Amino acid sequence: MRKTILNVSAVAVFFGAVVFMGTAPLPAAPAGPQGGSAPSSCDRSCLNSFVDQYVDALVAHDPSRLPLTKFVKYTENGQKLELGDGFWRTASGKGAYKFYVDDTEAGQVGFEGTLQEAGHPVLIALRLKVENQKISEIETIVARGQMAEGGAANLEKLGKPRAAFLEDIPPAERVSRLELIKTANRYFSGMQKDDGKGDYSFFGDDCNRLENGMQTTNNMTPFGGTTSNGTPRPAPTAKYDPATNPTTYSAGWSCRDQFRSGLLHFVSWIRDRRYMIVDQERGIVWGFGFFDHQAGDTRNFETPDGRPVTAGPTTPFTWEIAEIFKVRHGQLHEIEAVLTQGPYGMCSGWSGYEQCRSDQPQW
Amino acid sequence: MVTMARKGIVAAAAAGVLLLAAFARPAKPAAAAAAECDRECLNHFVDQYLDAVVAHDPSKLPLAKNVKFTEDGVRLEPGDGLWATASGLGGYKLYFDEPAAGAAGVFALIQENGTPAILQARLKIVGMKITEIETLVARKETTAFLNTDNLTAVRPAFLETVPPADRPSRAEMVAMVGKYFDGIEQGNGDIVPFDKDCIRIENGIQTCPGSPTSPLGALSCGAQLSTKIFTYIQSISPRRFPIVDAERGLVLAIVRFNHPATSQTVEVPGRGKMTKGRYSQWPNSTQIAELFKVKDRKIKEISAVIVTQPYKAPTGWE
Repeated sequence: MRKTILNVSAVAVFFGAVVFMGTAPLPAAPAGPQGGSAPSSCDRSCLNSFVDQYVDALVAHDPSRLPLTKFVKYTENGQKLELGDGFWRTASGKGAYKFYVDDTEAGQVGFEGTLQEAGHPVLIALRLKVENQKISEIETIVARGQMAEGGAANLEKLGKPRAAFLEDIPPAERVSRLELIKTANRYFSGMQKDDGKGDYSFFGDDCNRLENGMQTTNNMTPFGGTTSNGTPRPAPTAKYDPATNPTTYSAGWSCRDQFRSGLLHFVSWIRDRRYMIVDQERGIVWGFGFFDHQAGDTRNFETPDGRPVTAGPTTPFTWEIAEIFKVRHGQLHEIEAVLTQGPYGMCSGWSGYEQCRSDQPQW
Repeated sequence: MVTMARKGIVAAAAAGVLLLAAFARPAKPAAAAAAECDRECLNHFVDQYLDAVVAHDPSKLPLAKNVKFTEDGVRLEPGDGLWATASGLGGYKLYFDEPAAGAAGVFALIQENGTPAILQARLKIVGMKITEIETLVARKETTAFLNTDNLTAVRPAFLETVPPADRPSRAEMVAMVGKYFDGIEQGNGDIVPFDKDCIRIENGIQTCPGSPTSPLGALSCGAQLSTKIFTYIQSISPRRFPIVDAERGLVLAIVRFNHPATSQTVEVPGRGKMTKGRYSQWPNSTQIAELFKVKDRKIKEISAVIVTQPYKAPTGWE
């Protein structure tokens, strides 16, 4: 079974568990949600080749090309589908952007990449679990349409992941899987009902985030369009300045300042946090989760400097998200996410109902 | 190969649903004397429910201990979802009931943080408590089209009483409505028992007969299907018929339309190649609560609440 930390206070106990386990040997390779993890016999290039085979089979609309376990499970945007259905019918070509995240210990690989669907660029977040050289789990998020096409084009231009993501952490500086997950989880905990009063030292000064290929921090390029309130999206500002009385966060701000502003409060609940893939050599954590926007009381809040603000979406909805974190020296630096909008409160297809509703980390 | 297998499964599942619907509940006299909660009582539950939603307070309701609540196919706790955002009721309320089943339904205009949306709710009442709450909320953000301005008054056909001697059995009503979904799947309006003047309103917008200026012109509901313009709807499954209001000749179907988006165009006889529509861009489904008025064994009016969903997202009640 996947591990879940159980207590009324997720964060407190999570940290407690870390302290308790901090000097202990690393836990055995975490099992996937279906249990039964065997020592991995698939190294980095082996895992990546499974991704390549998968993408080839996908655009050929032919899952029979893949080495699959008998009871392989497939989900697309949180829904259990038969392999061959959904994106398997519509994928029309491969893309140039390929970002592999390997967890040789767990026999899992994540892939963020661009693809084509009926001639339109889309983004995919893919997780494969490989057992005895066969694929036993396939989890995908496909981001399409207005929310993804521009960003997919951006990633195509980038051509490859940011170099820092792929750099090895010097062996002497590597930390445990749990330490890496703990740092990533501070991001979700800090954003959930953000009040601007937390300790955000877990952000590196150079932290930068891409969401569906769009740079959503430190970006002074106007996005255009409207905010969730229907008002024109203001031009980005370079620095968070409470004296200007901002009511929405800006993509021009740093990762840390977006949290410091308290203006992410409308993200009411970040739940079903599954940290499925950890690459210790590179200091990368791949988490899945859901960002709920309750759109009720959570629209009304106070900024850290005591100003009442009403902001955020006016109708309930949920982002289904796969988020990739680069962790160095206990801080987050590069962040990259693939997300798609789903019905409010949706579940992933990989967790029980209680886990789906919980904000406690699972790994 | 996969496609064929899936079609077979879908067809079998659809047939199974119809079969179950036909046999699970034998036809009963419409005004079952044994019903513990009659039409007035059921509608009162609906009103209580709507008031409690707007008050953001489920504690105002007589809820069964293990009440099940879904919004747009997702199981939530009462108090969440629309309960947190509803800011007022509109004037439009269309009630329908099946007293023998303890089933109450409503289409209602609702305000959500000041913006109108259409709510479809189904309640099940057992022992004068609410045991099930199933809802769909058509919001501008979650549907391809919506116009709440048109929902000013309930159309009279939905309120007319059918003379007792003219009331088909539950199974017959369900079978007639089932033909509508078969007709969409097969692109064949001829197999559907449409009244020649059938009107369909979806999310507040009349979609058949069409506007003379629309791409298909003013075709009837049946003729529209026969153009095969709707064949992007590969399957309509699952299908449920949770409320049959025999007294008024109404059937509520809650179904899922599945759009695999494998092609974007269709050849329409006499019109050439046409784009299939909003739902053919990429794989998705719509969950639909559709209310049918059946009169003289014909489908006379249709009113639907439609929400776009991830492809094959469960409705929460399978």
